[in-house]
Parts: sequence; C-alpha cells; structure tokens
Amino acid sequence: MNRKWIFFLVGIAYLILIVYGLYEVYTVEATLRVKEAPAIKPENKIAIAHTEIFGKLERPQVIFNHAKHEEVYKKEGCKTCHPEKESQTLFDFPKNIEKKDKTSVMNAYHDECIDCHKKRSGEKLKAGPVTCGDCHKEEEISSVLKYPVFEFDFYVHDKHVKKLKEKIGKDDCGLCHHSYDPEEEDEALRLVYEPGTEESCYYCHELGKKRGSELAAITRAAAKKGLSIRRASHLQCLNCHLKYKEEYLKKGDKEAVPTQCSKCHTGKYKTVAELEKVPRPDRDQKEKPFINIKDAKLKGVTFDHKYHETSSKTCRSCHHETLKACKECHDLVGKPEGNNINVARAYHDPFSEHSCEGCHNKKKSEKDCFGCHYNIGAMDVETMGPKKEACKICHSGEIKGSLSRPPLSIAKLDPEKVKKELKIKVLERQFEPAQFPHLDIIKKLVDISNKSKLANYFHKDMQTLCEGCHHQSRAEAEVQKDTPPYCRNCHAVAIDLQNLRKVRLLTAYHNQCMGCHDAMQLEKGSKLRSKEGDRCADCHKVKEKGPESITSLKNFPEDPWRSAWYGKMERQMEGN
Amino acid sequence: MDRRTFFKVMGSAAAGVAAGSLARPGACSAQGVFDANEFFGILIDTTRCIGCRRCEKGCAEVNYLITPDISERANQAIFKKKRKTSVNEYTVTNLYETEKGKVYVPWRCMHCNQPACHSACPVYALEKRETGHVTWDKRCIGCRLCMMSCPYDIPKHTFQETIATIQKCNLCYGRFLQGTVPGCVESCPTEALMFGTRRKLIEEGKRRIAQNPGRYINHIYGEFEVGGTSHLYLSAVPFEQIGLRTDLGLKHYPEYSLVYLSAIPFIAGLTPIAMLAIAHVVKMAKKDAKEEHHEEEKEKH
Repeated sequence: MNRKWIFFLVGIAYLILIVYGLYEVYTVEATLRVKEAPAIKPENKIAIAHTEIFGKLERPQVIFNHAKHEEVYKKEGCKTCHPEKESQTLFDFPKNIEKKDKTSVMNAYHDECIDCHKKRSGEKLKAGPVTCGDCHKEEEISSVLKYPVFEFDFYVHDKHVKKLKEKIGKDDCGLCHHSYDPEEEDEALRLVYEPGTEESCYYCHELGKKRGSELAAITRAAAKKGLSIRRASHLQCLNCHLKYKEEYLKKGDKEAVPTQCSKCHTGKYKTVAELEKVPRPDRDQKEKPFINIKDAKLKGVTFDHKYHETSSKTCRSCHHETLKACKECHDLVGKPEGNNINVARAYHDPFSEHSCEGCHNKKKSEKDCFGCHYNIGAMDVETMGPKKEACKICHSGEIKGSLSRPPLSIAKLDPEKVKKELKIKVLERQFEPAQFPHLDIIKKLVDISNKSKLANYFHKDMQTLCEGCHHQSRAEAEVQKDTPPYCRNCHAVAIDLQNLRKVRLLTAYHNQCMGCHDAMQLEKGSKLRSKEGDRCADCHKVKEKGPESITSLKNFPEDPWRSAWYGKMERQMEGN
Repeated sequence: MDRRTFFKVMGSAAAGVAAGSLARPGACSAQGVFDANEFFGILIDTTRCIGCRRCEKGCAEVNYLITPDISERANQAIFKKKRKTSVNEYTVTNLYETEKGKVYVPWRCMHCNQPACHSACPVYALEKRETGHVTWDKRCIGCRLCMMSCPYDIPKHTFQETIATIQKCNLCYGRFLQGTVPGCVESCPTEALMFGTRRKLIEEGKRRIAQNPGRYINHIYGEFEVGGTSHLYLSAVPFEQIGLRTDLGLKHYPEYSLVYLSAIPFIAGLTPIAMLAIAHVVKMAKKDAKEEHHEEEKEKH
C-alpha cells in the first residue's frame, strides 16, 4: 500500500514539474529590443567607433561634435588637438597612439579627451563631460553617421585652376598633383612634380583595389604611409584651405574657402549634362586620335576623343589605371601589366565599364534606344559573328576630320514600298484587325536617332533603322524585290513542331510590338498602362462574336474518367 | 534466318509503316516529332507573360473544365488575389508586384523529376511517365497523401463528388500522345510558355540568359530545385518575389523517406530471425553450462 502511494505521489510531482516547465517556457516575454535608431544628420559631427580595431563595441559609439570644439579653440587653431609635421597639420586624433590595438587606442582617446575636459573645468571654463555615459550615449548605439563622398568634378577643378592663375600668374599644377617613383633611391626625390604627368588622385591613393604591377608598387607605398584617398585628400585640401582662409575672410568672402565638413560633403553631384560646358584640363591629348594597332586584323579607327571627354564625368571612366593610351598596356596578345587582357577585348568587352562596347551597351539600354536594341544582342567579338558592315563603321581605316553623318530623313522613302498604314489580320479569329501606323513609327525612330550623336554615327542609313523590326530579313527582301519583308515570310501561323524554338506569327507580332513598347516605356500597349483599362484594346478590338475555342484540337471524347480513357488508348498503342 | 523470324521482322516493319502515326511516345509519335526518349517540359518565361490568361482558357478547353472568363474586366478582379490551382483550374496566373514592376506568373504542377506525390501514392494512381508527365487516373482512392506530400501544394481533391479523387495538370498527356503541344502552350499569344524536351529547354533558357545580359536572374528555377522539375521558370526578379519557393532544397523529395522506408522490410523481416538466433545461442550456452556443471559435479562425486 505504502509503495503504491509513493509511486502515485512521484507521478503527480513529475506531472506538475512538466506543466510548470511548459508554463515557464511559454510565458517568457520576448526580450528583443528593436528600437528605431534616430537618424543623425552629419552636421559637422564625427562618429567615433573604430570597429576595425575594436570589433564589437562594449560601449555605444561616440558622436563627436567637431564644430563645437572648433568654436572654442578658434584662436589656438588646429594644433591644440591635431599633431603638426613640417608645417602641415596632420588630421589625426589622438596625437600619439602607441600601438594600434584595443587598449592603447582606447587609452589614447580617454587620456586626450578626459584630461582636457578636466583641465578646463579646473580652470573654471566651460568644459565637456568626464563620465562614461555622457559621451558614450546609449541612444546613439545604432545610429549611422556617414558623410556623402565629395566629388572633385571638372567644374571644381576648373575653379581651382582659375583662382590659382589669378594668385600666382601662371599654371602650377604641382601644388596638388605629384608623381611617385618607388625605384628612386633618394627618398627626398621620390615624390616630385613633373609637368604633363598629372593624373587623378584615385589611381594611387585608392587603396584596397586590385591594380596592375606598376601601380601596385605605388599604392603599396601609399598604404604604408596610411595615405588612403580619404586621408590624402583631407591633408591636401584642408591644409591649403586653412592657409588661405584668413586671407579670404579679411576680404569678407566667407564662402570661398570652406573648411567645415558639411560645406564640401553636400551629397549633391553634378550630372554629365551640367558638366558638358566646363572645359576639360589640357594634357596635350589629341582631339581626334587615329587608333591603329600594328599587325591587327582590322583597320584603324578614328576616335573622337574630345567628344568622349565631355560625355563622361571623369577621365577615370575610361582610363581606369593611368592616363596612358590603351595600347600601352593592352597589346595583341595581352601583357601582364594589362592584366593579360588583349587589345581587342579591352575595346570590345561587352560588360566592362571601361571598354567602348561596354559603355555603348549601357547607352543602348537607355529608354529610347532599348526598344530596338533589347532584341539585338550585344556585339561581342568572341561569341557572336557580327555583320561585317557593322565593324566597318568604326574600323574604316581613314583619318577623318569630322565624325558626324548627315541626319537621316524619311523624304527619300518610296511610298509604294513603305506603306503609310498597315492592317494586321493575324488575330482575325478573335479580334478586329490591328491598325499599324508604319510611317509614324519610322518617323519617331528617325527623330530619336537624329537626336543622339552615338545613334547618328552608327545608324549609317535607313536600312539600319529598318532592321530594328525587320531583323534578319535583309537577304530575303533583296531577293524578292517586289514583296515587302513580311513577318510571315519566316514565321509560320501554326506552331512549328519541327522547330519549337522558332516563334509563330502571332508570337512574333506580340513579342516584337509589346517588347518594344515595354522597353521604350510607351504609354500605349505597354506594361505601364496595364494598371487599368484594356491592354489588348490598345491595338485591336475584341470581336463581338469570337470563336468558342482557342485551341486547335478538340479530339478527345467527353468522359468523366479521362484517365481511364488515356489508359485505354495506351493499351491500344501497345497492341500495335 | 528462318521463316518464322522473317515474318516477324517483316510484320513488325509493316506495322511500323502503317501505324507510324500511332507509335508510342518515346520511340516515335503521331507526326514523328516527339521522338526523344526523355523528359518533356515547359519553359515559362515570366518576362514574356502579359497576363492574358489564355493559357487558363486553353487548359480548360482541352481538359473539359469550366471555361474561365478572360475578359479584361474579369482579369482585373481576379489578379487582386493570389490563387492556387483547383479541380477546375489546373493552371492559374498570378500577378506579383515586384521591384521591376508587375510580373505575371503562370502556376501549375511542376512535374518533378522524382515526384513526391508518386512516391506517396499507395495505389500508383499518380504515375511518372517515361516522357516526364506526372499523370493521375481512376485508381485513386482519395486518401490525399499526395496532397500532403507535394511541396508545391498542387494536387486537389474533388470534395464535391461522392467518390473523391485527385486532379491536377498532367501536362496534356493525351494531346502529347497525339503529337501535339499542351493546350496552354498552344493558346499562349507570346510564347511565354515553350514546350520541348527538358534538356533543350534548359539549353534555350541558358541561351536567353546569356544573350540578354541583365534581363534575367542567372538561374533557371526548376533546373535543380527538388531534384529537377519539368516546368522551368525564367525570371527578371528573385524567385521569392514571384511566389516560387526557394527553401525547398535541391534533394528530390522521395529521397528523404527512402532510407527509412527501404529499411523497413529488412528490419521487419530480419528481427524475428535475429531474435531466434540470439535465443538459440543463449539456449545453447545455458545448455553447455549446465552440462559442464553436471560433469563437474559428477567428477566431484
């Protein structure tokens, strides 16, 4: 009897334990702390976090108000906090960090900040906080403070060049530009300025980017000195600006020499069109160089360098590593300094941002051009055999003075051959015939083509434009001169069971028309319009009495057990 | 060659010529088109689909389902909700708002290379044909195991009927035997659906991706998903955004239960034998020990 009772009690206790455990598990409150971080405007503040050294932070980051400190030490100047070297202020803080590890960086910051704050409060001046939580504020734990990159575009460049000329009466690019020779033995002579070798800061000072062997040696030296693009440009720009600030302030020109963060890092960028009229710096580049590679298969190309200068923001968009000519690094077989990319690929890579093809492809995928070009594959020298006439447009072998063609016009078109309006009756079973304004479409395409210089040059005659729709039809159209290049010459009405990849006529029309309307983002018949209203009715009205079935075969007897029927049919076939 | 074999060969040749149009798929079919002995499928290019729902109408016509209203007004109302397949709609078209605008996605049975429904079916009502079609027939007992096993939630149950059965898209197996493409493919005005052998479709999909850089996601949905499917999707936006599940893994579904299920006969069959063997060994050992004990006792005496 006793034993039974003990078993019973243990069982009850066990049950209670389980119920209690379940209760505990299911009543735990979610402790996720999801707080919206307050968006911080970078009003001359700096976020100090150093996650590259500290990793995950134990305390919240410090949002440092630089403008406030600047105000206080207006008279003493930058050297109060920042170290100086050879009459240049180095914008580093704290002044001396022994090692770049967690404790020494932390101590350096704490020493510098707290010491100063204490000293000032001892002198009964207005002083900053000394306790932890006043700087490491809990509410700023996850807020992001980031300045937009400043773009030293050609407009700003031009301004600097003009001001400089005003000041010293001649061009002296050496104030900012320099070149570095890592093989020079005398260290003082390594960093020199040679006129005519000015290049972009990014080439040498943008660290962490894969470079060719020649440039890699220089970037390595820059990395050793810690001269990233950020530090180098602050050193160069700010030191100069601080030097001239007083002078301009006396003149009463406050805006001329900005020294505060938000004055340069505005986040506003100029577009290519805005920069078009700004003169580009002169480095003895030819206006229309004739690019001719020795022993190359194709003839030389006359290249309008001047036009391409104004159609991009920077020189770097094409000259990706140096301002040398392409052929100096990329030859017929590929050199190691050109990353083993041969000259054909350098010019024709369809996906590169620096190649002719790549940039032209990007232009072709813009709204106006994409209507035809979405259907035309990228002209890739390696995979697709381009038509020979297309190559000849660039590879003419002639040294040309002017690279523009007379604009296309529809005046010469024969109205007999090129109909003004067409009726497409393929869908007659279900729809009224579609009206196709043939000539209006040609007019619009001609207008678009004439507007752009790129299109004007490459669409050499009307035939090229026609090929946008009448693709691959040229040979047939020429053979049968009387019949126009109908779509039905190639595309059959029914599904071609022998060649399932070939689209039928119905599909050919729909894909061609709707694809173009979608790509050009036209109001009529495109996806844009499908928000409401009948998209089909844009081109053809639905017939009042349409056919009942839209499929061609209806051979199967009506049978609730279709599958049974299938089985029977199979058996029949097996019998055969 | 003796007389008998000669007649056999001649007879079969004559039958082949006469019934050339009625030969089995896989060898040669009605118009001598589908002569490949491999899986067939449909490539669905969602960038080409214009959401006209003609595939639904075509499907209904060839399968004797209720004909849907595909006028523009009906479409607008229907695209407001995401539909699933049903016994009257073997294929449905859904509208998804994505980062690249509106995308219409036809949705139907994926015809997996190794279908979970086929492996789950206790009566082999769902079959995977050697041409890739996953078909269903009247052997169905209405147990709905296939509905549970399908990762895409495709097979649907005719609840309104007394003897309920499973229904779903069967890739128009009947039309295929006659040498025609499925109804949805035939009625599509933009050939967003393309019928062909699975191998060719993958080739074509890869060609489209390569020739239109930036237009598609560089992946054909269904090439590897759940061990490969016969319906293949091309898309301009990530597949999650157009309602295709990407969390299903690349293993085919029957593989998950394969090891466990194939072990059952062995365990069930071998356990009694093993137990008997152990019992026998123990018995023998006990007997030996007893005998030894007896002998020892005898020696003592």
